[in-house]
Amino acid sequence: MRERSEVASSVRLIASTIRRIVGMPDYATFVEHMKRRHPQCAVPSEREFFDQYVTARYSGGPTRCC
Amino acid sequence: MTKLLWIAVSALGAVAWGMLALNRGETISAAWLVLAALGTYLVGYRVYSRFLATRVFGLDNRRATPAERLENGRDFIPTSRWVLFGHHFAAIAGAGPLVGPVLAAQFGYLPGVIWIVFGVVLGGAVQDFIILFGSMRRDGKSLGQMAKEEIGPLPGLVAMVAILAIMIILLAVLALVIVNALKDSPWGVFTLLCTIPIAFLMGFWMKVWRPGHTVEATLVGIVGLMLALVGGHWVAESATLAPLFRHGGTTIAWSIIVYGFAASVLPVWMLLLPRDYLSTFMKIGTIALLALGLLLVVPPIQMPAVTRFIDGTGPVFAGKIFPFCFITIACGAISGFHALVSSGTTPKMIRQEKDARVIGYGGMLMESFVAVMALAAATALHPGVYFAINAPLASLGGSVDSAAEAIRGWGFSVTPETLTALAASVGENSIIGRTGGATSLAVGMASIFSSVLGQGMMALWYHFAIMFEALFILTTLDAGTRVGRFMFQELGGHFWKPLARTSWYPSIILSSIAVCAGWGYFLLQGVTDPLGGINSLWPLFGISNQLLAAVALCVGTTLLIKGGKQRYAWTTLLPLTWLLIVCLTAGWQKIFAADPRLGFLSHATRVRDQIATGALDPAIGARLIFNDRLDAVVAAVFMTITVVLVIASAREWIAVLRGRKPAETKEAAYVESAYA
Repeated sequence: MRERSEVASSVRLIASTIRRIVGMPDYATFVEHMKRRHPQCAVPSEREFFDQYVTARYSGGPTRCC
Repeated sequence: MTKLLWIAVSALGAVAWGMLALNRGETISAAWLVLAALGTYLVGYRVYSRFLATRVFGLDNRRATPAERLENGRDFIPTSRWVLFGHHFAAIAGAGPLVGPVLAAQFGYLPGVIWIVFGVVLGGAVQDFIILFGSMRRDGKSLGQMAKEEIGPLPGLVAMVAILAIMIILLAVLALVIVNALKDSPWGVFTLLCTIPIAFLMGFWMKVWRPGHTVEATLVGIVGLMLALVGGHWVAESATLAPLFRHGGTTIAWSIIVYGFAASVLPVWMLLLPRDYLSTFMKIGTIALLALGLLLVVPPIQMPAVTRFIDGTGPVFAGKIFPFCFITIACGAISGFHALVSSGTTPKMIRQEKDARVIGYGGMLMESFVAVMALAAATALHPGVYFAINAPLASLGGSVDSAAEAIRGWGFSVTPETLTALAASVGENSIIGRTGGATSLAVGMASIFSSVLGQGMMALWYHFAIMFEALFILTTLDAGTRVGRFMFQELGGHFWKPLARTSWYPSIILSSIAVCAGWGYFLLQGVTDPLGGINSLWPLFGISNQLLAAVALCVGTTLLIKGGKQRYAWTTLLPLTWLLIVCLTAGWQKIFAADPRLGFLSHATRVRDQIATGALDPAIGARLIFNDRLDAVVAAVFMTITVVLVIASAREWIAVLRGRKPAETKEAAYVESAYA
């Protein structure tokens, strides 16, 4: 049982590292941040979080070089 | 012990440089190229970047970064140094470092590798590092905002116009690279077309079916890409399907323009976001593969150290080694565009100040290494093959026989049979006159990969490399058109208010059309240019990118002088001076040189004479003359903008140095970090 949870957590870690490299913030980290710093606020759902991220990311300056 | 190790590294680098410089007449192993580069990077990183980090910038881990102070779980996220390094590298590395060195290989391998390696250690990496540092100390502000705050409002506006103009030339020239690689290639066109439905599928996966499951969707996308690649082979072999996907340059150019427009008005999640993910992984994966391939094969470099074309008579592009080697290789040595990325997402994610050194300086060294690998892959080709691919059709003639003849005239030998066999081995009808660097890089990569994994796969590897380049060039096109649109809307908003409403559909469509028309015009100009287009557009791109770097270094110098580090202002003034000399000379030559291959205006005069003697159709001639004059104006505008910005900055520096203005910057206040 313990082994399986270790595998699962390393898979999660790898997935989150990959997401961070492409520039996508981690939903789990975000939820944790909201609970810690803004416990009174409602936490957006994963879908809302994704939408907000997409809008924020591509409405500013260049994100990719030549 | 560490000291001994560093002495060994330095010695190895020095020996490698000696081998490269002194070798005459024989082939030399690509290993020396790689060792010389790595040795210099390691010493440069260890010595110079430490000097910059401690003495010049005074990086301080006790000072909280924006990621710590403004943490919001979205864009301000403290991120581990190596993950952020990967993110930053993926954001700065694109087609630029792959194409420029391949084109500059016409001078031989030595000029290119010297500029790439020393340019990055003393210039490119310094620029990336100081802008990252400046932005990190200013809550992640952009280059434009820093220019506005530290130099003045007018320079800020001028910088923005410059960025938009550069973006337009950049997009046109990148699109041209792809058109030249895909024309008359059903395999390539089919594979690239498939990436559109694959991106849609990924987009729906992440947005509708399984929100946020990026990794899953990306895996699906990669599998899809591989299927498309194999499918392309099948299409190219089929007598009924192949003609449907075989198109000339003009048709492909128009399709890319229409695609660019559609992609920039569709919601981001549908096309841009999935493509961005796909190309990030393809980029990291393929670059790693290329490094591994080079390591295993260690091909001999067949190109001479220095060719006779340093006198400016080269077929790939016109112009002497000075200044054009330093213009042709922009990304990889120093790239102004990086200043935009270094003042974008990365500074908001740095966990501790000292991490900026490996991310800013180290990330750029890594990109420079990609450029060295591209140079190695291109110079490992037989020079005759290299020139057959990269010289324009106008100077090669339309057949393998005329090409072999022309190449013999340049002092290299290649048989028509070799060229035919090579084209067949990569699954194409012809590879001659495919200017722009993508094709020769793909041939180089394919020969390296297939000598590790067996010759039977050559065609597949070639099309893999073409798809890889096309994929991330199109991603740059999507993202660049969108960014250009936002800039156009913001600038246009100064003249007509409603244009600035970024989510108002008429404004979105109008400004997207304007941006696409801008780069589309230059793209079509390049596609129909008898000299192959790269000849005139790539130098314009190089000049504009280097001038943007000059702007970034002006901002950097201002940060140093206003921050009380006048003593160290030479660190940015040195590359700035060099860039100004190079770019202004190159710009001047492109406009006024008497050689019609080089100067836009003298080319226009020659076309006029040809019309007068009846050698050229007046309608075509009139268009060529207009394009020459337009290119001359564009070069002049870039040069003027830069000179204005440099003068504005210099006045600011003098005012501070003479004590007429207080030496204070707009750095965010010091807050103690909890991480230290």
